Amino acid sequence: MDINWAQILLNSVITGSIYLIGAIGLSVTYRLSNFSNFAHAEFITLGAFIGYWVSSQLGWGLLPAFIIAFLLTGTVSLLCYRGIFQPLAKRGASTIHLMIASIAVGFIIRYSIGAGWGWTPQYFLNTWTTYEVGAIRITGLWLLLILVTLTSALTMHFALMRTKLGKAIRASSSNPELAAASGINVNRVILITWFIGAGLAAIAGIFRGASTQVWPMTGWDIILPIFAVVVLGGIGNYHGAIVAAFIIGLTENIGVVALTNLGLATEYRMALAFLIIIITLIVKPQGLAMFFRRA
Amino acid sequence: MSIIPYLLDFVVFVGIFGIMALSLNLEYGFTGLANFGKVAFFLIGAYTYAILSQTGAPFYLCLIASALTSAIGGLLISLPALRLREDYLAIVTLTTGEILRLIVKSEDWIGGGIWGITVSPAIKMTGASPTSKILVNIGLVFICMAICFIIIQLLTHSPYGRVIRAIREDEVAAEALGKNRSKYKAQIFMLGSAMAGIAGGLFAQYLRFIDPYMFLPIVTFTVWIMVLLGGPANNWGALLGAALVQLFDRGTNLIKDYFTLPIDPTNLQYILFGVLIILVLLYRPQGLLKESEIKTEALRSARARGSTAKNREG
Amino acid sequence: MPEEALLKIEKVSKHFGGIYAVNNVSLDIHEGGIWSMVGPNGSGKSTLFNTILGLYKPDEGTISFKGERINNMYPYQIYARGLVNSFQTPRIFHSMTILDNMLVAARGHQGDSMWNSLFMRKKWQKQEEKLIDEALNLLEFVELNRMAFSPAAELSGGQRKLLELAKVLMAKPTLLLLDEPAAGINPVLAKKIFRKLNEISRNGTTFLIIEHRLDLLFEFASWTYVLNKGSIIATGKPKDIVNNPVFYQAYLGEE
Repeated sequence: MDINWAQILLNSVITGSIYLIGAIGLSVTYRLSNFSNFAHAEFITLGAFIGYWVSSQLGWGLLPAFIIAFLLTGTVSLLCYRGIFQPLAKRGASTIHLMIASIAVGFIIRYSIGAGWGWTPQYFLNTWTTYEVGAIRITGLWLLLILVTLTSALTMHFALMRTKLGKAIRASSSNPELAAASGINVNRVILITWFIGAGLAAIAGIFRGASTQVWPMTGWDIILPIFAVVVLGGIGNYHGAIVAAFIIGLTENIGVVALTNLGLATEYRMALAFLIIIITLIVKPQGLAMFFRRA
Repeated sequence: MSIIPYLLDFVVFVGIFGIMALSLNLEYGFTGLANFGKVAFFLIGAYTYAILSQTGAPFYLCLIASALTSAIGGLLISLPALRLREDYLAIVTLTTGEILRLIVKSEDWIGGGIWGITVSPAIKMTGASPTSKILVNIGLVFICMAICFIIIQLLTHSPYGRVIRAIREDEVAAEALGKNRSKYKAQIFMLGSAMAGIAGGLFAQYLRFIDPYMFLPIVTFTVWIMVLLGGPANNWGALLGAALVQLFDRGTNLIKDYFTLPIDPTNLQYILFGVLIILVLLYRPQGLLKESEIKTEALRSARARGSTAKNREG
Repeated sequence: MPEEALLKIEKVSKHFGGIYAVNNVSLDIHEGGIWSMVGPNGSGKSTLFNTILGLYKPDEGTISFKGERINNMYPYQIYARGLVNSFQTPRIFHSMTILDNMLVAARGHQGDSMWNSLFMRKKWQKQEEKLIDEALNLLEFVELNRMAFSPAAELSGGQRKLLELAKVLMAKPTLLLLDEPAAGINPVLAKKIFRKLNEISRNGTTFLIIEHRLDLLFEFASWTYVLNKGSIIATGKPKDIVNNPVFYQAYLGEE
């Protein structure tokens, strides 16, 4: 079989891009709030549905879809945090209780979407031109995705490195107590990251939805690779997440070729993400930090 | 549907999920292991039972096999995973469940893939009425549940139970007091998985048909809410939670049958389920029944002596 | 010395990043009596203790206990050999009763195994009765016996310290490492505790104690190692050590 490596590389960039913008919010809020928010999958789904509603049902076009999905999903995320997770944390809920609560929140959002739009898969009405450059084929949607990812990645990079808010986020995620002691309003930082993180998840949802289908499981369908990005990149580590996203994109795309050649179902590419999660969590040297966590 | 079979069906499910809740209570309530992949071991048990039943094996062999394969599955996962932080363990077990479901969905030769697999009747009852068939299932399920209950009661009210509670509270301190925490955790994980496997086998035996869509993560979280609602580290609490959550489930189903609602009732059921979990975590995080203190005969008599001594002094 | 050392530490180093917390330490502890270790804060005493106990792996050097190398063992294996420690900050099991906290620390309880706890309940009930008596005696000594059946979470800070100490005595250790047992306890009770430790030491338990209170060391400790910046800078009888200028330099240099 002839393997088009250039195409595989491009596809990896594309897959990785969706995972990256889908994972950043999860990674940062995991670090800052000390639990992994499983409802993040539903932020992706919600974004996909809002995008579908604005662009295909209302027919307002894609740009308003992105903006409205970003703002609405961000707001929902803030409400979840202020209304459920923060009160729970204040009452001394354990990490496990917070994780269970996030799964419950995910249920509420997922089945509310199911009640509103139904469980039949929906499709974006947009059609995309396909461009051919040498051996590479790329659709307009993918070009847009790469553009959006590059812009948001660069914006995030400079925001984190140069702005006051970015420095506050970095300080809070490396040592919350110290950050609070040095006058940073950690609570405000957490709220902002919950908002932006969910907004980005919504954008990822639109791209995922536009390229496959929109249904209440859109976000859950890619939760494994998104967790793999968070874990492999290091929880709360932005630059790590970028590298991890593309490694996972690459693994999946090479994996699909390998699985096809082996005669296995391509759905097993999800198993690769699973293996990456397990291997990272076990091999990553945690050393003494693990042993003296509660000391 | 007449009311009697409906009630009996409810009782069977309380039993099956009672076993699941007991086993999660052993893992999480007593030992602090956050197993977010309970459904994986339920699935292993159910498929083992279904496949073996087709060879004509008697039901008790099928059930034993379900327990064994699930225990082995539990051991395989526990070897790498039990050294992890609690939230990492949760992620790993959750993803394990998803992967197993992916495998039975993709591999038609295991259990018919997405088309599912029928379970041969392991208990032959030709000519029996549906009601008496359910009654036999109730007997079987409750015998299994009683055995699991007794095993966990004995374990948790013994020096062994003291060690696993110590591991839950502070595993480094427990290891510094000479307890091999990896060994204890692996044993608990294997035993808990074996029990979940039995529940899965009973589930397959009762329904006579299983497919991958019965093993969604929702199963895991149903069991979690049973334990959290009933009261972690209390075995009666686990059973109470199982009964209450099943009742809640049936209640919302009845609403579906008798009322017309503006929104689809199946969705509403899950939404209410999510709300219930959050309400429990917010307002009753310790559950309905409080943790049961360790009781051994020696402790009981020491306590009796202590109180008489105090009375004499006072 | 003619007899073999109970605990032999040879050229042990432990560093974090580039900083040596313990640097090339060698010392011997022989059977019997109370041995002590002093040194300013951050001198590496606690790190050395944690390294002996298997909580940290030493980067260099060997540690032997009763002639057996223990520096690659897990903490629970070291405990099983009778080398036991109590933490500086008490680590007790809050939701369990005080008595259960004591019983969990016992060495070789047959009911600790899954099989025995299920099927051999007669076998360990007798042992449990005996252990409960021992535990109640120890609790009486630290004045906690009246609270034996209360949850440990109800204890005050000082009482937790006492429970931490009483709990490790349950193990009947061969060598017991204590990290500042008298800190945060009133002086009268502290003295009483040291007297008790002295009594226990005559029945075959050797102690290695980190302690700042010199009056207690003068009275009870037979030998002292002075640790500063991860190295042993002086060693000798407590009364001789205080006359050693190096000792004062270590403490005063810090302030």
